[in-house]
Amino acid sequence: MPPPVASLATSGLLLLFLVSAVSSSSLPLENGIRVVSAEKRIDLTGSIVKVFVTLKVENAASASDASQVLVAFTPTEVQHLAIVKATRAEGKRKKKAYNPLSVQESDLPTTPNGARLYSVQLSTPLKPGETTTLQVFYVLTHSLDPFPAEISQSESQLVYYRDSAVLLSPYNVLEQVTYIKMPSNRIESFTRVDPTSRAGTELKYGTYNNQMPNTYLPILVHFENNRPFAIVEELVRKVEISHWGNVQITEQYKLKHGGARHKGAFSRLEYQSRQSISGTSSFKNLLARLPPRVHSVYYRDEIGNISSSHLRTDSHKSELEIEPRYPLFGGWHCTFTIGYGLPLQDFLFEADGGRRYINLTFGCPLLDTVVDDLTIKVVLPEGSKNPQPVVPFLAEQHLEVHYEFNPIFMLAEPLMLIFAVFLFFVACIAYLHMDLSIGKTS
Amino acid sequence: MQATASISSPVPVVWYPTLAVAMVAVGLMLTASFFMSGLYANSVEIGKPICLRYEATSSRHSRSFAKEITTAAVASVFLGFGSLFVLLASGVYV
Repeated sequence: MPPPVASLATSGLLLLFLVSAVSSSSLPLENGIRVVSAEKRIDLTGSIVKVFVTLKVENAASASDASQVLVAFTPTEVQHLAIVKATRAEGKRKKKAYNPLSVQESDLPTTPNGARLYSVQLSTPLKPGETTTLQVFYVLTHSLDPFPAEISQSESQLVYYRDSAVLLSPYNVLEQVTYIKMPSNRIESFTRVDPTSRAGTELKYGTYNNQMPNTYLPILVHFENNRPFAIVEELVRKVEISHWGNVQITEQYKLKHGGARHKGAFSRLEYQSRQSISGTSSFKNLLARLPPRVHSVYYRDEIGNISSSHLRTDSHKSELEIEPRYPLFGGWHCTFTIGYGLPLQDFLFEADGGRRYINLTFGCPLLDTVVDDLTIKVVLPEGSKNPQPVVPFLAEQHLEVHYEFNPIFMLAEPLMLIFAVFLFFVACIAYLHMDLSIGKTS
Repeated sequence: MQATASISSPVPVVWYPTLAVAMVAVGLMLTASFFMSGLYANSVEIGKPICLRYEATSSRHSRSFAKEITTAAVASVFLGFGSLFVLLASGVYV
């Protein structure tokens, strides 16, 4: 009987439309994009994880222009993400120019397995049928878990790294390969997801073909990493600007070794006699990169000056190598202060409209360290008005503070001194002209 | 990045020590002349100590008052700037 069958068919069609409508709301907007090839290179040779992903992205011929490309991260990765940068190669062969693209957190609803999306804004939209190559670079901190969690002085440090064998992506990935580079030849174990191969210090997971969107195959790599795990738990940077020609920076550090904790006693004899075996995961030096033309550098802590430091300057940079009073083993802390002065003309500029702005590096000058908590205080001279900081979104960029200053206020300091001296003279005059004698003099 | 002019100190930094010494020297000489002009201009009684000779000048204070204030003002300007440059040259960037 036609009418019930027709009504069943229409209700079936309606249901289908509803289901497709619901599922399409969780798909990315540019659902014509797919990744033709992806190469992920993970660098585990330090204490932080650096990942370079090269994506060759194609826009389907039937879709609309794509203005953004989405990259996905797991919730744990997002918690530990320090930087995400993207560049796009333009031009052919020798004329390749890498243009930086802006990356923003996407407010699209999260994908089915809880992954978070970041959107790479393309400078020119991707036309249907075109392909382009993007490089995405990101850094994860605190992502290497030491296992065993406690080691003695003569043991090596082994850490876990957790990731996925296939690239987590909201698009179809046709072909992909992942390379993981270790700091040394000692790899205790790694998850095998065929095809997996190992060549010396490098692991290769790939080549995987035709992966569906949002696939995630967890892998665990257990390897030796004796690089210094220096973590600055708290850094307070104070920048004092004087219009008479100096910028004075004072930094107070609370440094910690964030690797496997040290257990047992520390034997100084064993440490110094067998340096290749004992304390392999400890560190005793830190390098700080400072701007060129730095002067009056000091390195001290609460006890006093620490003389074990070296300063090397050249025309492009200055390097300060500091040695704390004791080597740092897992779980050990130390606190110290570094201070230095810089010439004003390298940092203070005049913006449009007569406002001045100071341009400083935002992060910590210590190389290869992770900073958990950073406070920056900028002290402007007397008479400055309307300070406005311009804070970068992610670290490793420059902080700018804009303010207004009338140069006549620079006279405030000498006028104060002149007034004080003049008061002294007025007091002298007053004393000299006062008649303090009891009786008549003449 | 804006390619803008950099701002530096109104007085070249290499001049700070020289300016400090010069201004303090001039300021001290003016201070000396301030005290000396008060001492010998009006003392008449040679036998008395110097501090008491001062008290003898109270009769002429209206004439030399303006001169004393002027010398004091100029000396304090030089001493003020001189001590500012002394502080800057020794690294206390106020």
